[in-house]
Amino acid sequence: MIDLEAARYRWHPVASSTDLVPRHVFQAQLLGREMALWRADDGNVNAWENRCLHRGVRLSIGINDGRELVCQYHGWRYANRTAGCTYIPAHPADAPARTICNNTYPAVEKHGLIWSGEKPDGQIPSLDVLDTTSITPLRGVTINVPLENIALPLIDYYSSGQRGASGDSVVHYGADTPDPFLLILHAHGHLHTSANAQAVDTPTPDIAFFFQPLDAARTAVRGVLCGVDEHNIGSAALIALLKQHSFMLCRARDIIESGHRDKPVPTPWTPYIPKVSDRHASMPPLTSAGQQAKLRVRLSAIENLSPSVKTFRFQALNTQIESAAPSVLPVAQPGAHIDIHLPNGLVRQYSLINGPGQTDHYAIAVKRLDDSTGGSHALHDSLKVGDVLATSVPRNNFTLRRDAEHTHLIAGGIGLTPLLSMARALDHSNLPFTLHHFIATETDAINRAELENMSAAVHWHVGQDVQQTQDTLSALLDAPTEHHHVYICGPGAMLGFTRETAATRGWADESIHFEYFKNPDVVDDSSEFNVELARSGLSLQVPAGKSLLSVLREHNVGVQSSCEQGACGTCRVEVLEGEPDHQDVYLSDTEKAQGNCLMSCVSRARSKRLVLDL
Amino acid sequence: MIILYDYELSGNCYKVRLLLSMLNVSYEKKAIEFYPAAEHKTDAFLSINALGQLPVIQTGDLTINDSHAILVYLARQYDKSDTWFPISDPVRLAQVTQWMCFADSLTSSASSARLVNGFFYDLDGEACRQEAHRLFRIFDEHLWFNEREDHLWVVPGKTPTIADLACFAYVVLSEEGGISRMDYPAIRRWTDRVKRLAGFVVMPGVFPAGPGPVHVLPANDTFPSAGTAEA
Repeated sequence: MIDLEAARYRWHPVASSTDLVPRHVFQAQLLGREMALWRADDGNVNAWENRCLHRGVRLSIGINDGRELVCQYHGWRYANRTAGCTYIPAHPADAPARTICNNTYPAVEKHGLIWSGEKPDGQIPSLDVLDTTSITPLRGVTINVPLENIALPLIDYYSSGQRGASGDSVVHYGADTPDPFLLILHAHGHLHTSANAQAVDTPTPDIAFFFQPLDAARTAVRGVLCGVDEHNIGSAALIALLKQHSFMLCRARDIIESGHRDKPVPTPWTPYIPKVSDRHASMPPLTSAGQQAKLRVRLSAIENLSPSVKTFRFQALNTQIESAAPSVLPVAQPGAHIDIHLPNGLVRQYSLINGPGQTDHYAIAVKRLDDSTGGSHALHDSLKVGDVLATSVPRNNFTLRRDAEHTHLIAGGIGLTPLLSMARALDHSNLPFTLHHFIATETDAINRAELENMSAAVHWHVGQDVQQTQDTLSALLDAPTEHHHVYICGPGAMLGFTRETAATRGWADESIHFEYFKNPDVVDDSSEFNVELARSGLSLQVPAGKSLLSVLREHNVGVQSSCEQGACGTCRVEVLEGEPDHQDVYLSDTEKAQGNCLMSCVSRARSKRLVLDL
Repeated sequence: MIILYDYELSGNCYKVRLLLSMLNVSYEKKAIEFYPAAEHKTDAFLSINALGQLPVIQTGDLTINDSHAILVYLARQYDKSDTWFPISDPVRLAQVTQWMCFADSLTSSASSARLVNGFFYDLDGEACRQEAHRLFRIFDEHLWFNEREDHLWVVPGKTPTIADLACFAYVVLSEEGGISRMDYPAIRRWTDRVKRLAGFVVMPGVFPAGPGPVHVLPANDTFPSAGTAEA
């Protein structure tokens, strides 16, 4: 028996590199555990637990859309690299929780093979004793026999001078087994093949056989030929060589299996599959409050998109190749934003513009504003590549539904950023949408080439004054259409007009989705009121001049926040009794009228007393 | 109008539905309940096919039974591209015939195991599975070497043939008979390719492949990188 526990800490081959063709999901097995292996369009190889977190269906029958893996059963989508769930079709209006993240395993390509493991902490086996100038993987062959019973009969078979159908002469091999998982055969003598009329004399390569423990009674033999100059010997001779070895391996397999037929079959290994991976198993502490800076990221690139707009790309710190747990950034969905803690002490919110599957970085686009309160200036003027910054995890209070018959994206100026991420997702999934971008001058049309290449209609409205803009918006929202959804982001006045017009024309509140840059209204904090916290058992007085959020914090009641001006929706609190005095621009009019929640950073009470679900 | 005597869960009927759809031929289905009613053994059906087997097609006065015979007829009658059943090329014609015979041996192994699991047939399921695995090993090796020479289909050549459809049905349904395809990566890639053919339709137990190129090569294929869209 192999040492199962030690084997968990090794790297094992799980596939050939050529097995992972584009838009395919490979079904692998290692130590009794099934894995779904897939290569994203950006080349990244994913090795995941082969089960959907929802109902346990194998992800290897799912759809690799190049950016994300989609479960066949209920369409849950998981992002390249992070395996974080980005969309649940049954809950189209909600962003999936951060804990919905599949188990991932490291995956590395070496020797023409894909290597993975449960928690590998050493090196991938070296082939330094052989000529590794060129490595030719053989066709992998599964043998239904335990791993420890394979090396010796395989050495016997190869060294007894077996020959394949097209072999004219015999090769002798010297065997070396550095460990139970690797067999090296040093070739002596020549192999003649007759792939075509004239017998081709090919060099006789040394062979390394890696043994992949599929399960207690099953082993894959993954061989590689070392030092075959594929260009020199020609494709016909190469295929003849591969066929020769495939024939020999299959014959050896049949001999090994029949020699093992009467042996007892060992009990299959049962892999431990945690319900939630370790890094997601902890819930945030109850007292967590305020603007949290959980992540450390490195600014990896700055690009000019226009004279006043730059993109900033951030990468996770300490991403290591061949590390058992490479650091990955928490997954985000279209519409998500992060708080960035700037060197000047300011905390600002920026929408991520990443497309689906672009999970190795966070990208934001920032316009340098003359009336900036310091955020865009700090980013544009003082940051340089290599700087390390603190950010929050992505939050999504502007989620994109994907069940609309048509999606209308309306952007004012740099308000394009969340909608750009949405457009990328919709376009990649071939979902119908239209994008309207209102800009002051032609130079403000960022990412124009990319947007023009999309299947959707994209319109740029350049240099319109207030009246013209309102006329265009009025025409767009002429009559409400069922199952159409509108997403709008831009200056406050534009959003105000759009929401008003949509409401007048009869659009349902829940089909108009909006995100403000900032709250354009002045907060009136002159009222005073009493709050009772139903779960904490506290009764607190909120005086004039102080926000509900700050009073809660003084009493160590945890409420997360981000923008702290009533625009982003992070500090939402449920209201059980009393009448809120809404002063935010996040909730829709319908939600405000329902009165069962409020934004604790700016909103207050019309009644003397509020009871909150805290 | 072609009438297809059809059972939704039958792999042999599925082969015919696939080709009808891929050739864009309209037809009318007559449902014959194979299980549990055993309508294929009733006098009414035996008068149409004395063998009591599905599928059968009728068009005008013509009645054809046997799924592979129907595939041959449909390909010759409706395939304007003349590629699905290549009669003008003796080598490929022989290869198509050979792999259709292979598909019959899948019917007596992989399909029989499915009849045991899903339809309570009194057969030796374990023996059926063993035979199916022996055939899958041979089929996987064949497809692996086809890929090596940029041949994407069962019979080498630029286009799929009715041999692909004949083999596809009971390969893709094998898991319902307890036959995993995990050990056959070249077979799994080939099923993706068949699923991406224009006109492909699913049946219960068969899942679509999602968007992607049909002409996938195993290595060094150029494909737009996700990074190129990034500004």
